[in-house]
Amino acid sequence: MSNSLLALLILLFPAAGAIVLAGRGWRAPRMVTVIVGPGVVWLSFVATLVLFLDKASGDFTYWTWIKSGSFEVPFGILIDNLSIFMCFVITGVGGLIVTYSVGYMEHEDGPSYARFFTYMDVFVFSMLLLVLADNFVFLIVGWAMVGLSSYLLIGFWYQRHSAVVAARKAFVMNVVGDVGMILGTFVLFMNLHSATYSSVFKALPHSDNGTMELAAFLLLVGAVAKSAQLPLHTWLPDAMEGPTPVSALIHAATMVTAGVYLVGRMHPIYDLAVYAHAAVAIIGAVTALFAATIAIVQVDIKRVLAYSTMSQIGYMFLAVGIGAYSAGFFHLLSHAFFKALLFMAAGNVIHAMQDEQDMRKYGGLWGQMRPTSISFLIGSLSLVGVIPFVGFFSKEQILGLAFSKPDDSMVLVLWLVGFATALITGFYTGRMWWLSFWGNASPQRPVEHPHAPALVMMVPVAVLAVLATVGGVLQLRTIGIGPAVVTDFLSQAVGPQRWEEGGAAIAVGIVTMILGAAFFVWARTLRPWSTFVPWAQHLLEHKYYFDDIYDAAFVRPMDRAASFALRDVETPVIDGVVVGTGRFSRWTAREGTVLQSGYFRNYALVFVVGVVAIGGGLIVMRAFS
Amino acid sequence: MSSLNIGGSQLDASWFLLLSAVLFGLGAVGVLVRRNPLVILISIELMLNAANLTLVAFSRQLQNMEGQLFALMSMTVAAAEAVVGLAILVDIFRVRDAEDIDDLSELRG
Amino acid sequence: MAIAVFFVAAAIAVLGGIGVITFHQPIRSVLSLVLVMLALSVIFLLLSAQFVFAVQIIVYAGAVMVLFLFVITLLGPARELGRGRLRYQGWLSAVFVLVLLGLMWTMLQGVQYRQPDKADLNFFGTVQAIAVGLFTTYLYPFELTSILLLVAAIGAIYLSRKHIDEL
Repeated sequence: MSNSLLALLILLFPAAGAIVLAGRGWRAPRMVTVIVGPGVVWLSFVATLVLFLDKASGDFTYWTWIKSGSFEVPFGILIDNLSIFMCFVITGVGGLIVTYSVGYMEHEDGPSYARFFTYMDVFVFSMLLLVLADNFVFLIVGWAMVGLSSYLLIGFWYQRHSAVVAARKAFVMNVVGDVGMILGTFVLFMNLHSATYSSVFKALPHSDNGTMELAAFLLLVGAVAKSAQLPLHTWLPDAMEGPTPVSALIHAATMVTAGVYLVGRMHPIYDLAVYAHAAVAIIGAVTALFAATIAIVQVDIKRVLAYSTMSQIGYMFLAVGIGAYSAGFFHLLSHAFFKALLFMAAGNVIHAMQDEQDMRKYGGLWGQMRPTSISFLIGSLSLVGVIPFVGFFSKEQILGLAFSKPDDSMVLVLWLVGFATALITGFYTGRMWWLSFWGNASPQRPVEHPHAPALVMMVPVAVLAVLATVGGVLQLRTIGIGPAVVTDFLSQAVGPQRWEEGGAAIAVGIVTMILGAAFFVWARTLRPWSTFVPWAQHLLEHKYYFDDIYDAAFVRPMDRAASFALRDVETPVIDGVVVGTGRFSRWTAREGTVLQSGYFRNYALVFVVGVVAIGGGLIVMRAFS
Repeated sequence: MSSLNIGGSQLDASWFLLLSAVLFGLGAVGVLVRRNPLVILISIELMLNAANLTLVAFSRQLQNMEGQLFALMSMTVAAAEAVVGLAILVDIFRVRDAEDIDDLSELRG
Repeated sequence: MAIAVFFVAAAIAVLGGIGVITFHQPIRSVLSLVLVMLALSVIFLLLSAQFVFAVQIIVYAGAVMVLFLFVITLLGPARELGRGRLRYQGWLSAVFVLVLLGLMWTMLQGVQYRQPDKADLNFFGTVQAIAVGLFTTYLYPFELTSILLLVAAIGAIYLSRKHIDEL
């Protein structure tokens, strides 16, 4: 089987799955949904695996979509190590999550169940399109479709008002990012006259810095929106209204990492646009710290994980922002492992607690849900960055590279931010763990004896737990010895890692880990600093008032403008014209019935008047000619 | 140009036309003002006669037979139309007393 | 001489016309119209239209007007009573008809008549001349007119039939 066909199949499998499930009007029998829904994702995983083993590489074009003058958009797939890496993450972790959701969503009725898997398959297809496209146009198509899938899945339980509102919020913010992406593409096309990656990257050295910076910043807007970084981050916590598998797949493992992929894929541009590149790192670091602080005061377990995601993606942005692309992508992989693990384990708990998500109502689950608790612990320790879990290696690699970047003292400031964030991460993760799983059962617990999760829900969790434990092996080089599989693999696509961590960096990394773990333990007894400073508590609970600021600055004026338009423009003017035309013609008709008096003599008179008029007209015309 | 040599004297064709116009006008007024349907039909006949006069006058003036032939046809048509009109009137009269044409105004609106 | 005949006939015609539209009794209107037709036929004769003169008297005044008389006697004498419902009809009609006449007069200002064809004045207007025209050049309208008469006759018979349910 040729590589080009395999590459196309990676895309087609989930698309076919979505069509099959949706085509029956969501009346497919449950067995079919159970097999087709996750099955197509696994098929794509197998195809990716075959391509990987084949060491495939190439830019395959299947047909030309648009050809207009010099603007040519082919439907093509770029297979290089970066795209294969991303496909592994999407199909592998995605496959596990979709399989998990077979059990999580079992309470849904038939059509709803099928609809969920349709949307999930659409999402997987869109995400794969995003990472496999070889030109900007299809990148944007995938980008937008991913946003759509996110909207559909966040608002999956559409009868819930809060879900619908959250879905809309996510979609609108994503659209803001889409605009940035599209404008960036325009800038690139206008200056470099092509939309495909290969042509654009080849032409880059010939363009001027201004263009490059502009395009890089515009593309960054898209990345920031999709990855929920400051300032376009407010949609992510609300997105937790969706079912937990959705949060796991879209808002932890894959969609939100699209921004990181973008910077990585566009690294030729960012290597040249130094200001935009620095902006990536700064945004990442600031978001990481910002989100970690908010996570301290959250009481909903999924919200903690959402802010944690925001924070960890900040780390990834920091990494790609300083030029450590492979480190960023390795953290992407490891984050996918442990965050999906955490979300799914949390899902097990939520499922057992009959959809209760408030951690203060948990307590004491260690004794009653042992496998889930162990998995959750593994995920938490990975998140904090404790040896031997994979999170340590990925986080330490980023911080170490930041610490030891040569000729760059500004990056040290960013390292400091990352260091502080790691400590706070330890704290909020620990708080989450102790509140939910340790101690005595809270008196407000909805369920006395939570049932054990079904096998289909436990196996993916277990698989991820194993991966999170042994994954670090891939990049043992971080502590100075062993392989650096990911770096080497990705160097074909994003270039080699240009500097190494020094011994000092490794030592600092170990210190960070110890302090982080300490905070994890102290979180059991320590009260968060925000309780000592009440104003900080308020600030954090209101998420630094970002939502309120956006509401006042954008939402309410838009609302007012919209009602103004409805009341004063749409109804009187536009409706007026349309309805008025009808009313006018009826009015003329009614007035016109005067002529239909029924009297013969009137009609005869009208005859004569008409003749007079015509005669008069003729005379006038003759006079003027 | 419009002078005709009739029986030795010179008559102007426009006099005939004037007479015709006057008769036509009288007929038109009759149609518009009178309310008895019969009288209306008669006024129409008057107008037709005026038209015939015009035709014949021009025929003489231009010394072309077409005018008279046309007048003949016109008379035929007038006869036919009078017949049908009267038949309709008779039919209406069977059902109701139609002295005033304003009574026959069911087609209003 | 011819002028005098013309003016007398014209005067009679106009008086008859006024009579048509002013008499209240329809039978008097019909008789006025007959008078008009007779005056007009004299004028036709002045205009060298012998055949038309004859036909006007025999057919028009003799047959069509008699038909009108029959219908009037059938329908009984009816008098128009009182004022009609349309108050402005009279004034408006007079105005517009006057305007119409004025228009016609204006339109005919400065009209140049074309050169008359040279016709044999002995032949002009005779039965032969009519026959020649009617049966050669204008045969088609002639035939159509006869069909028209047939149609009118059938129509009249049908319209004035006795309805069965009225018996």
